[in-house]
Amino acid sequence: MSETRDSSGDQTCAEFQDRLPQLFESQVDFSKEEHLKHCDNCAELVRDLNYIAQQAKWIMSPIHDPSPAVWNNIESALQAPEPEQKSR
Amino acid sequence: MATPDLELPAATLSATPGPSPAKGPTQHLRRNPPIAGEAEAIAAAQGGDARAFETLYALHKRRVYSLCLRMLGNVAEAEDLTQEAFLQLYRKIGTFRGDSAFSTWLHRLAVNVVLMHLRKKGLPQVSLEETLEPSSDDGPRKDIGARDLQLSGSIDRVTLERAVENLPPGYRLVFVLHDVEGYEHNEIAGMLDCSIGNSKSQLHKARMKLRDLLKSGLRKDNTE
Repeated sequence: MSETRDSSGDQTCAEFQDRLPQLFESQVDFSKEEHLKHCDNCAELVRDLNYIAQQAKWIMSPIHDPSPAVWNNIESALQAPEPEQKSR
Repeated sequence: MATPDLELPAATLSATPGPSPAKGPTQHLRRNPPIAGEAEAIAAAQGGDARAFETLYALHKRRVYSLCLRMLGNVAEAEDLTQEAFLQLYRKIGTFRGDSAFSTWLHRLAVNVVLMHLRKKGLPQVSLEETLEPSSDDGPRKDIGARDLQLSGSIDRVTLERAVENLPPGYRLVFVLHDVEGYEHNEIAGMLDCSIGNSKSQLHKARMKLRDLLKSGLRKDNTE
């Protein structure tokens, strides 16, 4: 298990990764993170997590339609005396 | 790093999104400009016009169903909850005041229906995290693994959707709400009745878990 410490000697991989959620949230410029300049593993981790977040926005747009039965059931439920009752 | 448990709130048992929220998810709004004819259909549906309600269903069924499917990972349950969400919409549409985009308001209603469903299933009785992801490998990791398996350029829609389906429900909820649907952490915290920090932590763990799942898939493909 590697445990890269950055050039200033005051941050390990674990310490850097502990800060990651906040770094992502604050949209920090990762190119300025000292630890990443010397740690290929953490740099790859940051690249992957950024990639996953970006892909999620663009390739998971809605593509699925419910079956026609869903509307039929809604229509039936709305016409029923007690609309709270699900017919499925 | 200890993380507070993420539990589904009793408050979400009311599926009503409440008064139109002042602010919807930023990305969601950006990706969903006003729909032609929607305003007229809303007004007519609020007046009891059944055809107008059918129009609203046609306009929004795909998005609501996709949300349900991603959060539940099960077609039958997703269709049941889509049905429930639109029945809720029928009953509550009179409370929509137009303070925010209708799609945002409907989306929040659908999210609440899903959360209510998960709560009824008993998932939140115990920490979602502990119940569904008891392994200790979700914390910060020092050993990142082989660097020859690059995710960049290797993920298609099917692969990512499959990986998301395999996330523990607690992680999947936050990932879908934030990264897919575009809700902010403060909004997610409000929906799930957890802290903003908890939402951030869950999102990070979800992305880490997704990375593991995707890399595992790549390794499997490489060995076949």
